[in-house]
Amino acid sequence: MTAAEMVTVAQRSIGVDYPTPDARERVVGTLRYTVDHSVEGMAYGRLVRSPYPHALIDSIDTRAAAAMDGVMAVIAGADLVESDLVPHPYFGLARRDQPPLAIGKVRYAGDPVVLVVADTDSRARAAAAMVGVDYTELPYTVDPEEAAAPGAPVIHEEWPENQCGDWALHQGDVDAAMAGATHIFEGEYVSPPANALPFEPFVAVASWGESGLEIWTATQWPSAVQRELAHMFELGIDEVRVRVLPLGGGFGAKGQVKIEPLVAAASRLTGVPVRVEFDRDEVFLTTCKHPARVRIKTGVDADGNFIARDIDLVYNAGAYAGLSPSGVAQGMLRSPGPYRIPNVRLRSRGYYTNTVPSGSFRGAMTNQPAFAYESHTDEIAGELGIDPLALRLQNALRDGDVYAGGQLMHDVHFVDLLEEVAVAIDWAEPSPPAAPGKARGKGLGVILKTAAPGTRTEARVELNSDGTIHVHTSAVDMGQGLQGTLAQMVAHHIGAPYEMVTVSDPDTAVTGFDSMTAGSRTTFASGVAIHSAIETLRRKLAGLAAHQLGVGYEDIRHVAGGAVSGTGPVLSFADILAGAGLDSLSGEGTYQSPRSPALDHPGEVRGEVSVHWHQGAVAVEVEVDRETGRIEIVRCHGAAWAGRVINPTRARQQSEGSIIFGIGPALYEEMLVIDGQVANPNMSDYMIPSIVDIPMELTSTSLESDDEEAEIHGVGEMTIPAVAPAIANAVAAAVGVRVRRLPLTAERVLRAIEGHDRD
Amino acid sequence: MTEGREVVLDVNGRRHTVLVADDEPLVLTLRDRLGLRSVRPTCGIGICGTCTIQVDGAVASSCLLLTRQVTGRSIRTSEGMVDSAGALSPIQQAFVDRGAYQCAYCIPGMVVTVDACLAENPDATLEEVREYLAGNLCRCGTYVNILDAVRSLVGGPPTRRSNATGQPGANTPPIETRDG
Repeated sequence: MTAAEMVTVAQRSIGVDYPTPDARERVVGTLRYTVDHSVEGMAYGRLVRSPYPHALIDSIDTRAAAAMDGVMAVIAGADLVESDLVPHPYFGLARRDQPPLAIGKVRYAGDPVVLVVADTDSRARAAAAMVGVDYTELPYTVDPEEAAAPGAPVIHEEWPENQCGDWALHQGDVDAAMAGATHIFEGEYVSPPANALPFEPFVAVASWGESGLEIWTATQWPSAVQRELAHMFELGIDEVRVRVLPLGGGFGAKGQVKIEPLVAAASRLTGVPVRVEFDRDEVFLTTCKHPARVRIKTGVDADGNFIARDIDLVYNAGAYAGLSPSGVAQGMLRSPGPYRIPNVRLRSRGYYTNTVPSGSFRGAMTNQPAFAYESHTDEIAGELGIDPLALRLQNALRDGDVYAGGQLMHDVHFVDLLEEVAVAIDWAEPSPPAAPGKARGKGLGVILKTAAPGTRTEARVELNSDGTIHVHTSAVDMGQGLQGTLAQMVAHHIGAPYEMVTVSDPDTAVTGFDSMTAGSRTTFASGVAIHSAIETLRRKLAGLAAHQLGVGYEDIRHVAGGAVSGTGPVLSFADILAGAGLDSLSGEGTYQSPRSPALDHPGEVRGEVSVHWHQGAVAVEVEVDRETGRIEIVRCHGAAWAGRVINPTRARQQSEGSIIFGIGPALYEEMLVIDGQVANPNMSDYMIPSIVDIPMELTSTSLESDDEEAEIHGVGEMTIPAVAPAIANAVAAAVGVRVRRLPLTAERVLRAIEGHDRD
Repeated sequence: MTEGREVVLDVNGRRHTVLVADDEPLVLTLRDRLGLRSVRPTCGIGICGTCTIQVDGAVASSCLLLTRQVTGRSIRTSEGMVDSAGALSPIQQAFVDRGAYQCAYCIPGMVVTVDACLAENPDATLEEVREYLAGNLCRCGTYVNILDAVRSLVGGPPTRRSNATGQPGANTPPIETRDG
């Protein structure tokens, strides 16, 4: 039976604004997050971190700390190396280059060095202040291009050139096309580090028992945590149990593996459950958005067609690799933008530096090139005297066009997205006159994002004899309302009331593998896995029903809440299970995205690079104060390609929340690195958007297919990459200055207006 | 660490006697001793608003108060706004109805702040409540729905476009009304 047939018999639950099942708990504040979880008899850990960006650890004096009341252990990296209890004291999904506590040397200011474990949190904190560490400082670098140069400080001996990913893609003949181009445009665009800053901090509680390790952690990647901990402690995968409660925000920061090796090792060495919660400054020092410098050169013919593009991306990976070695490839694949360009030459590199390790940040690896190519598009339009919307529409990728690497595009909607946002802000109409001393302008941005290759999601749908349905999944609810969204899909496809469906929290002892809740993949990937699980379940039910009715399997039809043969009575799910003597019946399903052979040769990427395309656009109108440089966003509209919308309110919240998230790094968010230190690791000196910083007119559209079977697209990151360039373009339209470095602070805009462009 | 002392607290209409250190911040007393987990420390320096409570009806950051400072004062948290029958307050209900939450770590602080604002000025406009919420940050960016919830309480023109979802080409000319 196809999904379409099921839908005909089902109560429609897709496209409906059901609140999440936990709406009340979320609003009142009784919902439990990992930060609220405690374990009987647990101890508390507090870190001592390196004050130096790069230094050898000469000695550590733990005596004073160890003698303090309540202190149970003072653990350093050397203790991990010497202990048989931690066979492999390094972790990392791409390269196992990161120890939970520094071993031998520190690689950034903030690198964890010593963990003090005590019976109370305040005692652990007090004792941590008593630990003495002697260092010998080493030369350091915080600049990836400096790190790439000969003679640069070596951050990891295994990677003497500090390389952390190096990828290239060539298509056509860029040099010949550039030589024949009517116009050549070049620009360089810089994105500094920013912090995703989830409000619930990194927190985990680990304990060891006869069946192995159990860890409760605020992660977006429970299956990856399970894998890395199994490796670190030489355990079977089933001997590591990872449990996750709803996250108080993630935004990529809680991706990959972060605090878990430290907490698990501390519990292993002390023999008691250990809880570690990071302070806000430690959240800043744990991960950040990749700083990047993007150089872009475009050849344009006499008719305004983009005929060649040459892009060089350099990402700062920070002190540890995380997923940078493959992430810089994804950045490269997204860097030409949603344009038809026959000749393309791309190079993308990552380098280790002595800074906070870079990692996922909503719109990861995409925000940086999008700021570059969409600013660049407007610069081209301005030079050629072409309307920026018209230039985009002329060059936008359409179905059947060839993308960089040779992939034929399908199901792309950049023209629709652009027209949608342009109409929404009255693109064709001039802005109304601004107040004296101020100027108004409008700007656009449109982006594409590849889907992560080679990911897998498993799901199990369990039908109980009382008619309730429970979904087992390791996908993480981090505020996107995932549990409600998955319940709606199950209710829709199985023909049950929404209220009868519940969705699990991840618990790897029970729930199946899931690569990650990231990259805007989960609604799609979990949706496919759940759909497949329901089909399996339906087949089992049909077999049981056929047996009970004494008819053939092929005579069974599925109806809402049950099955029927011919014109006979409907057997409800409960009837079928009771007839078979079952309390419950399950179906399992899997989504597997193909791995990408195109990425087998980093120096020469060629072929299919994405199973489908994430697509979004943003239009803004700004008012710029010529005397202060301050930007006010007057109105903003975003659009995302959704395929089909499961829950309109939540889809809208993703697009609008993504815009608001994007306003921060566009206008003021930057982690300032001064003398190798993060100078503003607090929410006073690092400001994020408040309710008075967003336009009163902030709206969005989720574009849907008219095909009921259309692929569902995640919408979590479709608007954010377009926010910063749209604002920069609007500022250029308003006051005629081009700012090529984020954020567009008032000072930076004012300097540009006054002609002192120091960047 | 300093000596402990007994402190009598009036929280959500109930009296509690707790033994606290002189330097214990109120946010930890409420969370760890009284189990009021809606009160959440995030920035620790009075910037973000997730630990917002009411002290004698006025909003305060409980991370900046010592527990011993609030003896005899009336403390209110989001939990205390649910009535004895379990019904949500009108403000809480408006947040639920308008989908004004995502991860929701910040939402109880928002609820407490809106409640204080409307108690102080029952005729507050949408713009006034918005200004009042300037110290309550939301990283998920739920502000649009939060304003929708507030608008449902205080009135004000809608800003939502009619075609919040739609099919390609289904655009109609913009029908936005500017919000005052």
